[in-house]
Amino acid sequence: MKIAVMSFAHLHAVSYIRCLQALGVELLTADPDHAARPAGEAGGAELAAELGARYVDSYAELLEWRPDGVVVSSENSKHRELVELAASAGAHVLCEKPIATTLADARAMVNACAAQSVNLMIAYPVRFTPAFVALQDTLRSGRLGTPVAVTGTNNGRIPLDQRAWFVDPVLCGGGSMTDHIVHVADLLDSLFESARVRSVYATTNAIMHAGQVAVETAGLVSVSYDNGVAATIDCSWSRPASYPTWGGLTLQLVGSRGIADMDAFSQRVDGHSESAGNGIWLPYGTDSDAALMAEFVSSIADGRAPQPDGEVGFRTLQIVAAGYESVRTGQPVTLASS
Amino acid sequence: MAPRSDQSYTIGMVGAGGIAPAHLSSWLSLGVSVVVYSLEGAPELVAGHGGGVVVESLDELLEACDAVDVCTPTYTHADIVGQAAAAGRQVFCEKPLALTSADARTAIDACTQAGVQLYPGHVVRFFPEFAAMHAWVVDGHLGELAVQRFSRIGSAPSAPWFFDDSLSGGLVVDQSIHDLDFARWNAGEVATVFARESASAAPEQVRSCQVVVTHTSGAISYVTGTWAPPGTTFRTTFEVAGTNGLLQHDSRDHQPLVVNVGSVDESGTGLLPATPFVESPYLTEIREVYAAFRGGPPPRVTAEDGYEAVRIAEAAAESLSTGRAVQLSPAVEVAR
Repeated sequence: MKIAVMSFAHLHAVSYIRCLQALGVELLTADPDHAARPAGEAGGAELAAELGARYVDSYAELLEWRPDGVVVSSENSKHRELVELAASAGAHVLCEKPIATTLADARAMVNACAAQSVNLMIAYPVRFTPAFVALQDTLRSGRLGTPVAVTGTNNGRIPLDQRAWFVDPVLCGGGSMTDHIVHVADLLDSLFESARVRSVYATTNAIMHAGQVAVETAGLVSVSYDNGVAATIDCSWSRPASYPTWGGLTLQLVGSRGIADMDAFSQRVDGHSESAGNGIWLPYGTDSDAALMAEFVSSIADGRAPQPDGEVGFRTLQIVAAGYESVRTGQPVTLASS
Repeated sequence: MAPRSDQSYTIGMVGAGGIAPAHLSSWLSLGVSVVVYSLEGAPELVAGHGGGVVVESLDELLEACDAVDVCTPTYTHADIVGQAAAAGRQVFCEKPLALTSADARTAIDACTQAGVQLYPGHVVRFFPEFAAMHAWVVDGHLGELAVQRFSRIGSAPSAPWFFDDSLSGGLVVDQSIHDLDFARWNAGEVATVFARESASAAPEQVRSCQVVVTHTSGAISYVTGTWAPPGTTFRTTFEVAGTNGLLQHDSRDHQPLVVNVGSVDESGTGLLPATPFVESPYLTEIREVYAAFRGGPPPRVTAEDGYEAVRIAEAAAESLSTGRAVQLSPAVEVAR
C-alpha cells in the first residue's frame, strides 16, 4: 500500500504522517509551497526529515510514484486543485476539512473523483472518537428516544501561532465559521443519517483578536433539520492563548426519552502550571486521527467506499456557506432541498 | 418610632404552586410572619413547612400583610401586582414579571404611582456560581465580553397552564427568561433575538428552545432551555468568553458529592435546581428583597430588569412565530 501526502500547509499532516507510519504503509510526501509561506513556519523537506518521511520536491514526482491513496492537507482554497490532480492520477483521496472554500469547488471535486472512479473521503476524525461512537450507539439503541435538539460546540484558540493562512480570508475561506462549523455538522450528518438541513441562521463577531485578523473570530449558528431537530453550533475561536489546550468539541443531544452529553476530549488529567500561568490538560484518550487513517487505508485495501465521503463534505460546507449568507442578510437562509 | 421586629412584619404569599415552597421556607428562615392565599394547595403548603397562616381571600391577605410575594401563574402576575400596589403593599413577584412587556409596564407604573417597591424574582442572579461569574465579569477580568452560552434543563412543570403559551408565554418566557436576564446582566442591552423551538410528539413532549442573541455591544449570547421528562436531574451550564479569558460551569461536573447508589439520585430532580453545600439561592434572594422592603439598599435586580427580561423573551417568542430575527427597540432609560 502506497500513500502520498500532498502539502504540509495544514499541520494535521504531521499527525497523519505519524499515523500512516504506525500503520506500516509506504509513504511519500511533498510540500512544494513551503518556500512561499511566512518565515518561521515549519514545512518542506526539513519537516519531512524531522518526521522520518520520504520527500520529493514536486507533486508531479509524487504522483509519478503511483500512490494508491493521497492525503491532501493543503490550504483550504487549494484542496480542489490537489484533489483533482490526485484523482486524475487514479489515487483515492483523503481531503482535509473543510472540503473546499466554495460549494462549486466542492461539487467539482466530488465529480472529478467519481469520473475517475476513486473514493473521496473527508478528514473528520471526531466521528471516530469512542465518545461519538458511543453516542451514536446510544441513539440507535433507542434509549434516548427521538432526537429533539442539539447544542454543539467546537471552540478553540485562534490558530494564528501555527499557520498564518488560517486567518486569510482567501486561503482559508473565512474565519472561525469556516474552521469550526464542519466538525459538528459532520457528527450531526452522521447521527441523523437521511435528515437534511432546512435552514441556517448565523451571527458572528470579531471582538476577540480585533485588529489582528480580517475574519470572524466568534460565531453562533442555528440549524434546523427536516427531522424536526434544532441544532446550534458555537464555532468560536473563544479559547484564550493561555488556554490549557487547543480547544475541544462537545455535543448535547436532547432526545424524547433522555439527554446525552458528549465531550470528545474529556479523557484528561487537569493541572495548573504556575510558571506558564495557565491550566494544563494531559489527554489520555484514544487518538482519533489514527482511526481516521486506518479507515482510509483499510477502505483502499478492501476496495470499498469510506465514510465520511465527499457528499458529507459538500453538505457540511453548505451549512458554512448558508451561515455566511445569513450573516450578510441578518436572517435565516433556507436551503434548497436536494 | 422604633423599627418593627421581623416577626411583626408580615409577608402575604399569593399562590402555592411550584415556587412557593422555596419562597415560604426562605421567609420563615428570616423570622417574618407569613399569610398565604391560594385557590388551591395553601393548607398543604403551610402544613409542610410548619409556618404561615392560610387566609381565605386576596382582600384578607392584602389587609393582613406589609408586602406581597406573588407566586401565582404568570398570566395573573400583573393583575395581582396592581392590586397589591393599590393596597399600598411592597411587591416581590416571581419571574416573569408579567406575561407581556405591556403588562409588565402597567405593573411597574402601578407600583411607581403607589410609591411601593417592586422586584422580580430572577433567582439565577443569586445562585453562587452565577453570582461569582458575574462579579468576575463586572470586575473586567474577562476583558470585553464576546460570546456567552447558557443552558438550562429541568423536568417539565406539572401544572397544565405552563403548556398553554397564552398563559405562560411558553418555554422561552417561562424558563429561558432566567438566562436571557443573565445574559443581559453580563453583556448589556439586546439588539437582536432569533429563536427556534422543537418538541417531540406525545407522550413525552420534551420541548427545547434555542435563542441566539446579539447585544448592542456586539457581544453574542446563546440560551437554550429544555423541559425534560419527569425525574430528569436539573442541570445548568454556562460559558462566558471575552478578550482576556473564559469562565465555565456545569452543575453536573461541579457537584461536591456524587452519590452512586445504582439508581437515579432524587436530589435536584423536578422543577427547581439543587445547590448542595451552599445557602439556598432563594433565601439569598429573599433576604436581599426583604432588606430593601425594610429600608435597606435595593436588591441586585430591579423591576426594570424584569421588564427588559420580558421584552427579550417576548422577542424570542415573536421570532419563534415568524421565523425571523427580531430587532429590539433600544431599552427605555427610566429614572430609578
